[in-house]
Amino acid sequence: MTRFTSARLPGYAGLAAAGLMAGLASGRVELIALAAPFALAAVAGAALARGPALRVRFALDRERALEGDEALATVTVHAETPVDRLEVLLPLPPELAAEHDPRAVSVAAGEPRELEFRVRCERWGAFALGPLLFRARDLLGFHSWEGSAGEPLPLRVYPSVETLRTLLPPLETQVFVGNQVSRAVGDGIEFADVREWHPGDRVRRINWRASARRGELWVNEQHPERNTDVVLFLDTFAEVRVGGRGTHDLAVRAATSLAHRYLQRKDRVGLVSFGGFLSWLLPTSGTLQLYKIVDSLLQTDIVMSYAARGVDVLPPRTLPPKALVLALTPLLDQRSAGALLDLRARGFDLVVVEVSPVEFVKPAADAMSDLSFRVWRLSREAVRARYEQAGVPVVTWREGQPLNVPLEEVTAFRRFARPVRG
Amino acid sequence: MLVYAGVLAYALWRSRGLGGLVATLGGIGALLLVVVLWKSWTELLSWSLATLGGAYAATLFVNTARVDEGAPLLGAGLLLCGELAALSLEGRWRIHAEVGVLRGRLLALAVLLLAGLAAAAAVVAAAGAGAGRGLAWTTLGAAAVVAVVGTAVALLRRAERA
Repeated sequence: MTRFTSARLPGYAGLAAAGLMAGLASGRVELIALAAPFALAAVAGAALARGPALRVRFALDRERALEGDEALATVTVHAETPVDRLEVLLPLPPELAAEHDPRAVSVAAGEPRELEFRVRCERWGAFALGPLLFRARDLLGFHSWEGSAGEPLPLRVYPSVETLRTLLPPLETQVFVGNQVSRAVGDGIEFADVREWHPGDRVRRINWRASARRGELWVNEQHPERNTDVVLFLDTFAEVRVGGRGTHDLAVRAATSLAHRYLQRKDRVGLVSFGGFLSWLLPTSGTLQLYKIVDSLLQTDIVMSYAARGVDVLPPRTLPPKALVLALTPLLDQRSAGALLDLRARGFDLVVVEVSPVEFVKPAADAMSDLSFRVWRLSREAVRARYEQAGVPVVTWREGQPLNVPLEEVTAFRRFARPVRG
Repeated sequence: MLVYAGVLAYALWRSRGLGGLVATLGGIGALLLVVVLWKSWTELLSWSLATLGGAYAATLFVNTARVDEGAPLLGAGLLLCGELAALSLEGRWRIHAEVGVLRGRLLALAVLLLAGLAAAAAVVAAAGAGAGRGLAWTTLGAAAVVAVVGTAVALLRRAERA
């Protein structure tokens, strides 16, 4: 522990000394009387200067929490000598908050004292709580002893998941069994068509009604249920942030919801965080993959970079053939637009969900700001037009709007606009 | 600030022709106290108190007739002023303190003030009794002063080390 002495104590001692000397020199007892309380305070301060013997432990009741949850941090203090005032501070990042932090308590000798901090997880992220800072003070606040306790404890706050009623089906499915009805014909449940019987066809597949009408054997064909590969493409080149809200937060929340829902459907989901800092996860299915994706999303951040990146930097297995690439982008950086158009040119089934930054921008009242705001919006329209020209559905997702709305828009777009196969 | 104003008013009341000097010194001290409270410069706190104490000391040289019996109250008032200023500065850290902690601090402050007042009153009373005159008492007084100055220097050094 590091000891500090208040500037008051030497000040009081100095005042006492000056008063006594002046009294002695001038022979005025009033100056001695004036100095007496300060002399007494200085003596009391010197008497109180005994460092406390403290043992402080710090623990957290969980390592994972959801946005809006509360985690309980417990501080146990054991003092061998009484501590008149112990100030405890749990340093928290802005995304977390705790009531009564810092707080001051008194600790009796030999009696362990437990302090509970209810930490509210206000925003997702990967955090390290601690070490805890504490300061013991004497009764009059003349001396203080500062120290820290505990190692940093990890706390991962996962973004809240939005309920998605429907998901975007990919144009093509993979070969493994899943929950997505394939467009191909094979063994399955959903009826696809009827065809003439061929040797080797099962008897149970014969459509007796059609056979009776045509006078020869016809069999039913079904659509098989297959899984799909979905790659969540997160544009982390730039964001618009106002206060505690920003486009990156929305994109992470959307990516978590989509990953959760697609993995529930037994699809394989991968992640590409494309920006100043590049990271990826190969598409896999299962609950473990969900945790991997969310953990990876928690660590994504907007990193300023001038590096010109293309999709060539990604390992080929990151983007499997026939995968649905769901891009979540604020359409702020030309490099991500270039990479996505490159993906489209390579034949990927690409959908762009524009996480709208427009709502976060409030132009000033003057004409020049208004003009620049309009020019900016026009330039965004131009980027959207580039995607649409390439046959890529671009939908806008605004803050406060359910994620289902843009996904339904994509479904509607696909109903009318068929992709051109090269 | 109210306690400071009270002490300054008392010094002005006793100034007798030195009103300008006392008011100037008191004003400088008040200004220093404002700076202390505004900028949280605790190092200036003792200078603010010293200035007001100096203003009061000046009045003693125009009131030479008898011992001022209000001096103990003045000393305790100055100490109270310093402690309240310190409490005000500490309150800005927004530390949620238990009631018992606050009560303990206020109680300790009250005890310190009362003890200081009692000690100062004892000094004035002892001076009134006139029992301690002569070389021995002067030597004892000088030794006490040296002891206090030594304590002050030791505390200053310790504060600098910290």
